Amino acid sequence: MAAQRNSEEAFQQTWESPNRGWGVLDVVNNQPLGRRFVITAFIFFLLGGLLALLMRLQLARPENDVMGPEVYNQLFTMHGSSMMYLFAVPFLEGLAMFLVPLMIGSRDMAFPRLSAFGYWCYLFGGILFYTTFVSGMVPDMGWFAYTPLSSSRYADAGVDYWLLALGLVEIAGITAGIEIVVTILKLRAPGMGLQRMPLFVWTMLVTGIMIIFAFTTLLTATFMLELDRSLGTRFFDPQGGGSSLLWQHLFWFFGHPEVYIMFLPATGIVSMIVPAFARRPLAAYTLVVSAVMLTGFVSFGLWVHHMFASGLPELSMLFFTAASLTIAIASGVQVFAWIATLWGRRPRFDTPFLYILGFFFIFILGGITGVMVAVLPFDLQVHDTFFVVAHFHYVIIGGVVFPILAGLHFWMPKLNGRVLDERLGKLSFWLTFIGFNVTFFPMHILGFYGMPRRVYTYPAGMGLDEGNLIATVGAYIMALGILAFLGNFASSFRRSPGTDMNPYNGNSLEWTLPSPPPIYAFRSPPAVASRHPAWNEQRTEDDATRKVRTAMTAAPTHWRATVVTDVLTGKPQGIQYLSGPTRLPFMAAVGVLIIFLGVLAKVYLLSVAGLLVGGYAILRWLWPTQKRLERMAYSGIEEAAGVPVFLQGSHAPVWWGMVAALATVGMVYGVFLFSYFYLRIHADAWPQGGLAKPGLLTPGIAYLALLSIAPLQWLGARLFGKGRHNTAEAAVVGAMAAAAAFLVMQVFFLQALDFGPDLNAYASLFHVLSGMVMLTASVVVLQQAILLRTLRAKHTVLEKQLPLQWQLARLFAYFTTVAAAVVYAVIHVSPYLF
Amino acid sequence: MTKAPVAHGNGTAGGLIAYAGLLATSGCTGASVQSALHPAGPAAASIAWLWWFMFILGTLVFIGVMLLLVTAIMRRQESRQGPPIGTLPFVLLGGVAIPGVILFVLLILTLDTTVSLRTPDTDLTVEVVGHQWWWEVRYPALDIVDANEIHIPAGRPVRLELRSADVIHSFWVPALHGKMDLNPDHTNVFWIKADQEGVYRGQCAEFCGLQHALMAMEIVVHSSAAFDDWVEQRRRPTVELNVRQQRGKEIFLSSGCPQCHTAGDTTAEGEVGPDLTHVASRRTLGAGTLRNNRANLTGWLSNPQAIKPGNLMPPTYLSPDDLHALVDYLQSLK
Repeated sequence: MAAQRNSEEAFQQTWESPNRGWGVLDVVNNQPLGRRFVITAFIFFLLGGLLALLMRLQLARPENDVMGPEVYNQLFTMHGSSMMYLFAVPFLEGLAMFLVPLMIGSRDMAFPRLSAFGYWCYLFGGILFYTTFVSGMVPDMGWFAYTPLSSSRYADAGVDYWLLALGLVEIAGITAGIEIVVTILKLRAPGMGLQRMPLFVWTMLVTGIMIIFAFTTLLTATFMLELDRSLGTRFFDPQGGGSSLLWQHLFWFFGHPEVYIMFLPATGIVSMIVPAFARRPLAAYTLVVSAVMLTGFVSFGLWVHHMFASGLPELSMLFFTAASLTIAIASGVQVFAWIATLWGRRPRFDTPFLYILGFFFIFILGGITGVMVAVLPFDLQVHDTFFVVAHFHYVIIGGVVFPILAGLHFWMPKLNGRVLDERLGKLSFWLTFIGFNVTFFPMHILGFYGMPRRVYTYPAGMGLDEGNLIATVGAYIMALGILAFLGNFASSFRRSPGTDMNPYNGNSLEWTLPSPPPIYAFRSPPAVASRHPAWNEQRTEDDATRKVRTAMTAAPTHWRATVVTDVLTGKPQGIQYLSGPTRLPFMAAVGVLIIFLGVLAKVYLLSVAGLLVGGYAILRWLWPTQKRLERMAYSGIEEAAGVPVFLQGSHAPVWWGMVAALATVGMVYGVFLFSYFYLRIHADAWPQGGLAKPGLLTPGIAYLALLSIAPLQWLGARLFGKGRHNTAEAAVVGAMAAAAAFLVMQVFFLQALDFGPDLNAYASLFHVLSGMVMLTASVVVLQQAILLRTLRAKHTVLEKQLPLQWQLARLFAYFTTVAAAVVYAVIHVSPYLF
Repeated sequence: MTKAPVAHGNGTAGGLIAYAGLLATSGCTGASVQSALHPAGPAAASIAWLWWFMFILGTLVFIGVMLLLVTAIMRRQESRQGPPIGTLPFVLLGGVAIPGVILFVLLILTLDTTVSLRTPDTDLTVEVVGHQWWWEVRYPALDIVDANEIHIPAGRPVRLELRSADVIHSFWVPALHGKMDLNPDHTNVFWIKADQEGVYRGQCAEFCGLQHALMAMEIVVHSSAAFDDWVEQRRRPTVELNVRQQRGKEIFLSSGCPQCHTAGDTTAEGEVGPDLTHVASRRTLGAGTLRNNRANLTGWLSNPQAIKPGNLMPPTYLSPDDLHALVDYLQSLK
């Protein structure tokens, strides 16, 4: 009995999240981190809203002088950047970080340290954004930073602040995206096959994949722009062979999916709340899931509809019109599925549902104007006017903020253990809803009457006076609505936590937990047999599942773990180790921050210092420690559960993490290669500037060395499998040497070139692509070194990890080989071919 | 200081009946000089027609969906079956079939309108070069250089060749056509055509930096004969100068002005700022910022930064007498 109590206590203690003193830097649990994301993002939402209120003050009257153009331009830049980068996506990722594990029956996210690292990067980036108000270097070129207005010729260091702060936020976005995808694929409760996933989880899965591709594009584009500004490359410089339109292509290849990255999780929220209030499962589940996937896919093919007025060929623009129209069908399916779900169910008009009704009204209007602006000739008239301002606020506030507010009321019992007050909730809804429409409806008309976006003033007597005044009044009414919500939230703390488990009749797993849930969420892993486990308690489970669940009940006691299941069927496959509290993610994020600050201050020595700090933290983080592995190996859980704790191949979440990471790196290559061919097609001569065609032979030898690592890895793994450890070791050393030889040869080759990256856009791309391969090769060296270390530590517990390490190293080696071959073919061979 | 006048064009009031409902919300006073809903040329007219078609269609769709939603949540139903026609047919009909038909119609209309908006053949070409924050206007065939206003004959299509000298701008005169960007690295071809005489306002529609809001222009539409007169006037050699104007000219040439400005057949051949050869004939100063009159011109010369902060023109430090002589000279440049 005492032993059982002890083990229960040990289990609780293992999961406890430090909350005192410097311990707050060590937190890795999804629940506190999710709350931090949500709260931080909401603060940026309030700040961005405050900026909007100031802008509306200036625009209340024609020829107003509350502020000059300088301040106004700073305000709309920071307003857009705050809402798009600091609020919407981080908020939804934070909400997912909190809710997804609860909804899928996991104890935490797949990579807890990555959650923490992402949060710190996000926080640092957000703070860096807003320190510009102190340093006086507020960016003022718009949230879209079109070149050449954002180039060093026309813009001051505000743009550098913006790019680097955004860089930090993008890193956070991508890490969270990867983590959300892997968590959803691998950590679902036994029995939760894909066909039983809650809709919010479905939307986050699609969103996570979209983030990996879209955010990586933006990260690469911002990196290129910062290179242009700080090192003098010419990617976007029309006077150096670069292109002003290249930035627009890259930006909107991110920017349009971004809209759906915000919108899809919001529809996920709606799809969770509507069935709860209809007391009936979501209608046409399969169709809705298909619509979500279709939206995610098609959203990458729409970016040009932001560029209809930039002078592109007519045919390509019509193609994008057609693609843009099809996405309306995907939204139509969702709307009609929700209506069908509600049919005849007389839902109770609680605050969450009121916000959902507000969503229907506003979002459908925004969707209709969205179809209109996809129509090419019409867009030529309203593009970059207040009509578009009205349109996207209808879509984003109606389609994203209203579902978010609905979700905050709905899940508040899980977030802080308390149900929000209904009277204040209804007041906040009506103020927000009325204020919103009064603000943004007149803007449609202002656009028709000739009001462009981003103007700090307008002449009197053009038909713009009254509409602007009404919009300003509306903005302040809406602000009162948000204030009422904040008051509601604050006053909820006067009540003690621990309300109903399921006050709104939700149907997913989080509603089977206490409010607020314990930090480990599930003492015993749940088994799922339907799409609405909170409504349907009956559980049919097979022996294997029962064995895992019993073994994992309040166990393991001395390390954190959760169940790993099959990607498709949700069958138990193993037990995943999850990290406990550690300061390494914080250190790594500080390292990244220092690197960026060094670039910002143009003190590159500082960046080197940051690289050392961050590199040290990340190496310590990845280095497998003997103590941890022994704990996993000898805890006895493997035998009790009947599934392994040392997972291999596609069973292991880390394997999926590696695939996602390679997709990210591959996308970086993709952006550079797209830029290469985009500029080449538009160039008069290639190479530009009368440069000679690049050499084939000397670099060819270097690249050949790099190509050899894939066969070496393959050979090594085979030899290892046959027990010939010494020869396998030699293959690893060989791969390491080949990658190192490539690096040395490339350094000499690039040194000997008679052009630097700042000569013209061709030279910039040549150098940056070569550099990318060198960076990839350096990672190979590092990874092989770690593999070698594990190989040499014979007959220890480290060997248990060897198969997985081999697999990861092989994945990366294959990727490197392909990337090197493609880059060589493009930058060295293709100029000779066409 | 009087601000630039907001001229009134001869916009047709087509479709105003349906728009009355919308106007009630905005309470517009009817100034339509920069309005896309008061088209004064064929391109703007066909886009406005497209809008009214989509407006009616969109309104019907919105009302239809809202009615369905209200029916769904207000109707009590004994059975748990969902919509009367069954869930799947309901979702497929409402979410796929009906929108599919509507979108197909829109696509056909889009194709049709896009084709009709192709640049027509014409013998009149105007080059427009965007600068931070003003418009350079050139008539290559007529050998005329102007700024911030474009003079065109009514009833004749005008081909526009648009490019930028610095950052991206966008050409937008809502009463005549939609917009087209001015890029620094390639020339975009666009066109306008006005049905009748009048003055239509336009302004830059792509954020181009500090004074994006004060980068306006006017399209002055003449009758065919009046346009020929205008061309004649622009080609006329400079008039004889009186003593005071002559003194103003010397001040003009000896101050910093010629570094940036060109003025007729003088030695001033700067290309940074607007060509001043016929500055006195222009309707506005500072790209639509001020009405062009003596008081405003004097104010602009003495401190342009107070009127349009951030523009490239520095303040002029002259004695009041010299300043007035300079103004005399500039006002002679008709």
